[in-house]
Amino acid sequence: MKLAVISCIHGNYEALNAVLSDIDDHQADQIYCLGDLVGYGPHPNAVVEMIRSLDIPTCQGCWDEDIVEGLNACECSYPSQLAEQRGRQAHEWTNQVIHPEVRDYLATLPLTLRQDNLCFVHGSPNSQHEYLLQDMDGFVALERVLATEADVLFCGHTHIPYVRQLNHGKLSVSIQQPGQSAQSQQFEAPLKSIINAGSVGEPRHGRPNATYVIYDTETAATTLREVPYDYQKTCADIIEKGLPPVFAWRLAQGLEFAERAEDPEHVCQR
Amino acid sequence: MPTLIAVSGPAGSGKTTWISQFFQAAPDSPQFYLSPGLGDISVDLARIGYRFPLVQVIPENQIQIALTALPETATVYIELGFHLDLNSPFFAALPCRRVAVVPPDLTQSIWHDWADEVIPGNPALPETNWPAALLEKPPQLWRSALMGQVFDPPSLDAIWAELTGGAYGAVQRAKGIFEMPDGRAFYIDFVAGLPGSEYVELQIPRWLSGRPQRYSGIEVTGWSLDTAAIAQIILDGCLTEEVIAQYQAQVLAADPAVAP
Repeated sequence: MKLAVISCIHGNYEALNAVLSDIDDHQADQIYCLGDLVGYGPHPNAVVEMIRSLDIPTCQGCWDEDIVEGLNACECSYPSQLAEQRGRQAHEWTNQVIHPEVRDYLATLPLTLRQDNLCFVHGSPNSQHEYLLQDMDGFVALERVLATEADVLFCGHTHIPYVRQLNHGKLSVSIQQPGQSAQSQQFEAPLKSIINAGSVGEPRHGRPNATYVIYDTETAATTLREVPYDYQKTCADIIEKGLPPVFAWRLAQGLEFAERAEDPEHVCQR
Repeated sequence: MPTLIAVSGPAGSGKTTWISQFFQAAPDSPQFYLSPGLGDISVDLARIGYRFPLVQVIPENQIQIALTALPETATVYIELGFHLDLNSPFFAALPCRRVAVVPPDLTQSIWHDWADEVIPGNPALPETNWPAALLEKPPQLWRSALMGQVFDPPSLDAIWAELTGGAYGAVQRAKGIFEMPDGRAFYIDFVAGLPGSEYVELQIPRWLSGRPQRYSGIEVTGWSLDTAAIAQIILDGCLTEEVIAQYQAQVLAADPAVAP
């Protein structure tokens, strides 16, 4: 079975259309979406309507949650004061234009989706706000996958696609209770994988192209797809809708609009 | 008789750098520096003043008086920005040696016609995707004093990357003096065509008692500059008084020896 996994569309309708067309070309059997349908981009309602109309199983992203619950970004989200202000601007704009039924739909999205040995989350199994960075500590990464009881964990949120194999290994843990000698325990950890789908609508890999993932459940073959689209149209719409014009410039450069995770050691408290 | 040396050239050609080489050593005679047309204070004036305390920096409103009362052994370096008319009566009447600092590939220009000596400086603007029609117009100079403002360092990094990357217009040159929350001040310099930006910590005392009461500022040269947007992001990157006080208290607690 061929799966297409998309994430972080962020109100970029042009990019979503291009990716759906590319998925059609590759004849995927099923699409999963890892959330962040809204935020930053100029067409949040249209994106949600498209996802709903295609009945794509979707988990809730941090931006989707923020539109339902109110802004709740972790301190790990913003690299600067300027970025935090821009994140707030984007949230306020989206919060104003979002349709009530779209907000209601976002509230219904689950945090996790499962299919057999596959698990789908936005950020991590712990939180939509937590970043699973490619170079994060291997033990923590393994713990996040083991917590799902799946073999393959699909995530987004970082906007930079990657595949990380957590190889079959042995974990040794030493536990010492007060007044007792240390006891050693060993665990076998089978092969696990984390697959980050990147971002459809706000890529942060240095190019404006949308990214997503195709995964073959029979062979475990993973293809990171990079799809060019008419990003200039989205840039024009960002400006026309009254979002900060610098978002258009950053989209064209493949840079984050505001949020960017930098510290792979950070454990998100959200 | 005092020695007057006028230095001109296009933006970013290296005029201030060329002049600064003569300020490196301890002067055996009085040295003066002035840069008319930029008001009483500018990034270059302040940087020269901070970097070479023995050089006497002459503000614009004191140029006439200062030039008539120079010591006999004085050497005066007069930096003439690209935006000044070299044929104006004032400059034409100055009894000075004329030095043009120009890109090495430039062989004919108003600066060549004007100068007694031509020094090869930084390369000319590289090929860009900026429209040719844009570059036919003279570049625009935008300046702002920033005295009292202290920057969130990561915000300043983002602002600088956007500014020099073309988010607010085609920038040929950007330079500035910026205050940091740990009390240090940095000079940052960008020239289109040269790799990266130069970051230099200024060797001046740390300012750890509220908003700095010394000059800082920014100057941007380029085309189609969205100056309102530039001004806004600069303000967005500045820290509030409360945050500045918190940072300064942390620095002082960690190292009381840096107290002013």
